[in-house]
Amino acid sequence: MIPATSAIGLTMVVPVYLEMAQWALLLLLGLLVIVMFRQLGRLFNRESRPGRATLVDTMAPDFSYLRVGDNRELEFPAASGQPTLIAFVDPTCPSCEELVANLGEVAAAGELPGFRILLLTADPPSYLHISETFKSTRLELGAMTSRETRAAFDAATTPLLVAIDPGGLIRASDHVRSRGEILGLSRAATLPPADSMIELKAVASAAE
Amino acid sequence: MYVIPLAAKLALALTLIAAGSAKLADTRGFASTVRLFVPPGLVPATRTVPVTRAVAGVMAAGELAAGCASLAVPRAGWLNWLVLGLATLFIVISVVGYARYRDRSCNCFGGLSRRKFDRRGIARSLLIGAGGVVATLPVPASAVRLSAADAILLLAAAALAACATFAAAKAVAAVSSA
Repeated sequence: MIPATSAIGLTMVVPVYLEMAQWALLLLLGLLVIVMFRQLGRLFNRESRPGRATLVDTMAPDFSYLRVGDNRELEFPAASGQPTLIAFVDPTCPSCEELVANLGEVAAAGELPGFRILLLTADPPSYLHISETFKSTRLELGAMTSRETRAAFDAATTPLLVAIDPGGLIRASDHVRSRGEILGLSRAATLPPADSMIELKAVASAAE
Repeated sequence: MYVIPLAAKLALALTLIAAGSAKLADTRGFASTVRLFVPPGLVPATRTVPVTRAVAGVMAAGELAAGCASLAVPRAGWLNWLVLGLATLFIVISVVGYARYRDRSCNCFGGLSRRKFDRRGIARSLLIGAGGVVATLPVPASAVRLSAADAILLLAAAALAACATFAAAKAVAAVSSA
């Protein structure tokens, strides 16, 4: 017991436990503030790093992946001659399940005609049992064979959807989940390249 | 040296409060970790998500309740054994997680940290276990004799700390996924 004097001059006896608990609670709140600042600092570092924005309008890299189902290692040529959507997803990430489900629905509804769609996960195929959405999807699902693939697309956080045009140019890349966001991002893969757009605008204004 | 068991008891109680409330802020994320430990076929496929989410919620709330009770009622010796039981469970989970899902996020503190199933995770669990053992050591009754008002105030402070942790975890998770 620790004797203490109150504000009005009365001497009280404070149990040691109570005294320690006050300091411990103060320490917890202090730690909480430090953790928040650290996490926010990491976020700001990530956002200020040259990343997704600079990937747009650059050539997508060729890579190989292990197709889930038959475990065949396949090559992915960036310039496949058709618009492509690559979704970087993980079965343990709830937002990824949402993207996979919505992407499956959009594709099944025929709203992505001519598109090649590939779901890529960094997890081993044995992890897929934990997600019913991943197990039941009809989209092509591949496991990355190299960490470099993820780094090349700046897919440090999932879900990430990347739209690539038929020539292999990355046209858009973003963390999306909903049907509207998927359709909006996929449209970028079918637009003419930026240079062509400028030329088209010039032709249009000359015609006026 | 009875201060050491009391310090261990407080540290564990606050850890449980922080971990429980941070997990409650992101039960979806914690449910994905729970799903890792559900053997295939144990739960019908259509019920996996709601069941694991419910289990995650109950586990998080249990941690929070154990932490609050341990903090506010230090004289209840059985709570020390309950906390030691939880610590033992953490050790088992971290070892199994390391063996089967190495380097995957354990969501131990929800969105507040990026702790993984790795060797450091096992070391942390062992430390918590050691703290749990120390907390069961006897202390003089006078050191933990709290009035009802003291206990209520401690409970209120614990609730405040839990709310702050919950809000911080929610905010960090929201900003991180933006």
